Amino acid sequence: MPDSQPILEVHDLHVHFKMLAGIVRAVDGVDFTVERGRCLGIVGESGCGKSVTARSILRLLPSSDTSGQILYHPDGDGQPIDLVSLDAKGDAIRAIRGKDIAMIFQEPMTSLTPVYTIGEQIMESIRQHQNLTEEEAQELAISMLNKVGIPDAERRFGDYPHQMSGGMRQRVMIAIALCCEPRVLIADEPTTALDVTIQAQILRLIRSLQQDLDMSVIMITHDLAVIAQLADFVVVMYLGQMAEKAPVVELFQDPKHPYTQALLRSIVRPDTPPREQLHSISGSVPDPRNAPSGCRFRNRCPSVHDRCVEDPPVVQFGPQHSATCWLYVDE
Amino acid sequence: MPDTPILQVENLSKFFPVQRGLLRRTVGHVKAVNDVSFTVNKGECLGLVGESGCGKTTVARCLLRLVEPDQGRILLHGEQQTFDIASASRKEMLDVRRQMQIIFQDPFSSLDPRWRVTDVIAEPLMAQKVGRGEAGRRVLDILPTVGLGPHFADRFPHELSGGERQRVSIARALIVSPPLVVADEPVSALDVSVRSQIINLLLDLQSQMNLTYVFIAHDLSIVKHISHRIAVMYLGRLVELGTTQQVFEECKHPYTKALLASVLIPDPTHREQSYVLEGEVPSPLNPPSGCHFSTRCPFAQEQCSTEEPDLRDMGGGHWVRCHFADELDLSEEIFAPQFDTPTASN
Ligand SMILES: Nc1ncnc2c1ncn2[C@@H]1O[C@H](COP(=O)(O)OP(=O)(O)OP(=O)(O)O)[C@@H](O)[C@H]1O
Ligand SMILES: Nc1ncnc2c1ncn2[C@@H]1O[C@H](COP(=O)(O)OP(=O)(O)O)[C@@H](O)[C@H]1O
Ligand code: SF4
Ligand code: SF4
Ligand SMILES: [Mg+2]
Ligand SMILES: [Mg+2]
Repeated sequence: MPDSQPILEVHDLHVHFKMLAGIVRAVDGVDFTVERGRCLGIVGESGCGKSVTARSILRLLPSSDTSGQILYHPDGDGQPIDLVSLDAKGDAIRAIRGKDIAMIFQEPMTSLTPVYTIGEQIMESIRQHQNLTEEEAQELAISMLNKVGIPDAERRFGDYPHQMSGGMRQRVMIAIALCCEPRVLIADEPTTALDVTIQAQILRLIRSLQQDLDMSVIMITHDLAVIAQLADFVVVMYLGQMAEKAPVVELFQDPKHPYTQALLRSIVRPDTPPREQLHSISGSVPDPRNAPSGCRFRNRCPSVHDRCVEDPPVVQFGPQHSATCWLYVDE
Repeated sequence: MPDTPILQVENLSKFFPVQRGLLRRTVGHVKAVNDVSFTVNKGECLGLVGESGCGKTTVARCLLRLVEPDQGRILLHGEQQTFDIASASRKEMLDVRRQMQIIFQDPFSSLDPRWRVTDVIAEPLMAQKVGRGEAGRRVLDILPTVGLGPHFADRFPHELSGGERQRVSIARALIVSPPLVVADEPVSALDVSVRSQIINLLLDLQSQMNLTYVFIAHDLSIVKHISHRIAVMYLGRLVELGTTQQVFEECKHPYTKALLASVLIPDPTHREQSYVLEGEVPSPLNPPSGCHFSTRCPFAQEQCSTEEPDLRDMGGGHWVRCHFADELDLSEEIFAPQFDTPTASN
C-alpha cells in the first residue's frame, strides 16, 4: 500500500447561516483529510452539522455562508483546487459535482424525481458528464443497476421511484452517484431509514464498490456501529465543532474527548448486562442558536471545570489523533 | 415470580383489503397479521421484532382496537374482570384503556400542534371523563416521573426536543396508571445520547410501578437489553417465540438467525462477524407459498415451498415455525462474512 495520499482536505471550514432569529453556526471550524481509497466516517447526533459539511463540499450552499478551504486533489499531477473559491453556480464546480465527487442524500425519495423513471434519471446524470450515444448511455445505466444489485434491471429501468422499496431506491441513488466513477463518494446517512438486513446489504455494496473503483468515501452517520464497520478514520462532531479525530480502532479503544467517551459508553453492546441502567449523557443537544460559549459540550460534560468557558485547545495524542478539550492541558 | 398472564392473544388476524382502479375494486388482501398467538405475563417485557412491513404496528394497533381485528381473541385480564378486546363494547373499551395504553414513535404527528404539553398528557384522562382541574393536577404529578420540570406543562410540541417529546408521550401513556403499556418504536427517532436516557426511564418505571410492556423496536440490541421474552414476525406470521436467551443465543429459526446476523457490531476489530441476508421482504399481497421465508432461506428444501410449517413447541416455551427446527444447526456461521478488518492507517 503506498503512503496515504490526500484526495480532499478540509481546513477551518465554517458555515454560518444568517437567520432572522440570529446566526446559526452550523459548522464552526472543521478540519479533516480524506485519503485516496479510504473511508472517512463523520459521526454525531442530529443537528451537529454533518449534512451541512457534506453539502458545503459540493458547494450546494450559498457562498456568502461558507468560509475556509476545501482542497480537492484531482488524479494525476493536477494542482489542488480550492472548492470554496469556485463560483457555486459556475461551470467549474458543475464539472466536479457528480463527476469527481458524488453524493447520496439522506432521503432517497426526495432526491429522486417522482415524475421520471429511474432509468431516465440515471441516463440524465450520465449525459451531464459523458459524451455517449443514447444506446451507450442506456447500456451503462442498466449495467449500473445490475452492479448495485437491482434484480431484473432491464425491466426495473422503466419503474418510477414510488414503485420501489426504500432499499431499492437507495440502490438507485447509489447507481446514479456511481455512474460517472467518482473519486469521492459522500454518503449522508444512506441506511438510517432502512431495516438492519437492508442496511447490511447497502453497506456491503458501498464497501465493495469502494474497493472495485478505488474510490474514497465519506460516510456520514449517527450510528457508531456503522462507523465501526466501515470507517478507516473518524471525525466526531458536536454542535458544529470537531470533538475528536482518530483512526477508527484508536477512537473505539482509547477515546479522549468526554463526548466520545460518553457516546461509546451509552451504546448497547452484545455483552451489556440485560436490563441494567445504561450509561447516558444528561440533557440533550441544545439549539445551535443557544450553544454555550467556550466548549459547546460543557453544559452536559461530566468533567466540566472553570476553564471550559474558554474555547478549548486541540490536543494531539498521536500523528492522527486529536481532541478538542481542556482536560489534557496542565493548568 | 409465578407467570400470571395479563394479556392473551389468540389466533389474531388482520387483513387489509387492497383496492385498485376507479371503482376501488378489492383486488386482494394484505395479510398484515395472520393467526398470531402469544401471551404476556404480568411484570414482564415482551419484545416484538421483524423487518419493516412484517405486521408489528398492526399487532399493536389491534391490541388497542385502533384497527378492528378480523379474527381472534385478545384477552386482557384486568384487576376485576377479563375483557375480550376484539369484541369489547365501546363502554368496555373505556375500561380497557384504563388498563392498557400505547406509546407511539411520534405521538405528536397525529395531534393538534396547538395543544400544549398539559393537554397532550391529559387527553387519556379527558377520555375517562376526569374533570379539568383534577386532570391538570395529575399532569403536574406525573411530569417529574418522566424527568420533566413543571415548566414543561405550558410548552407547545414544537418547543420540545425529540427526547422531551418522547418523555411527554410516556407521561401520556402512564397518566391513567395502566398496568400494561404497548410501546411502538419508542426510541427509534431519538439520538444516541437520549435513547439511553429513555431506555433507563422505561426500565425504572417498570420496576417502580410493576408495569408490563409490549415493546416493538427494530434495534435488536435494545430489544435484547429490555425484553424478557421475544416474538419474531415475518410477513404477518409469528416465526419464533421464546425467552430472550432462547431467541438470541439458541435461536432455531433461520429468519431470526439472519436478523441477528445483520446487526452491526460497534467494534472495529470485529468486522468479520457481520453477515447479510439476501433479498427483501416479498410483497405481503402475494406471500411465497409454503413457508413465507422460503424465497430467502439458505436452508430451504422442496417441502418448504409447498407446505407451510406450523408453529411448534420446542420445549421450555420456545416456539418455532420451521419444518427443520430440530435438525438445523444455526450456531454455524451460515451467511458469508461481509466486511474485512480495517487496514492499518499509519
Ligand atoms: N391501513 C392499511 N391499509 C392497507 N395496508 C396496511 C395498512 N396498515 C398496514 N398495512 C400493511 O400491513 C403490513 C404490516 O404493516 P405494519 O405497519 O403493521 O408493519 P410493521 O412491521 O410495523 O412495519 P414498520 O416497521 O415499517 O412500521 C404492511 O404490508 C403494510 O403496508
Ligand atoms: N439552510 C439552512 N438554513 C438555516 N439553518 C440550517 C440550514 N441547514 C441546516 N441548518 C441548521 O444547521 C444545523 C446543522 O444541520 P445538519 O447539517 O442538517 O445536521 P445533521 O445532518 O448532522 O443532522 C442545524 O441546526 C440546522 O437546523
Ligand atoms: S473542554 Fe471542558 S466541558 Fe469541554 S469536553 Fe473538555 S472537559 Fe468537558
Ligand atoms: S421451513 Fe424451510 S424455508 Fe422455512 S425457515 Fe425452515 S428451512 Fe427455511
Ligand atoms: Mg443530516
Ligand atoms: Mg411499525
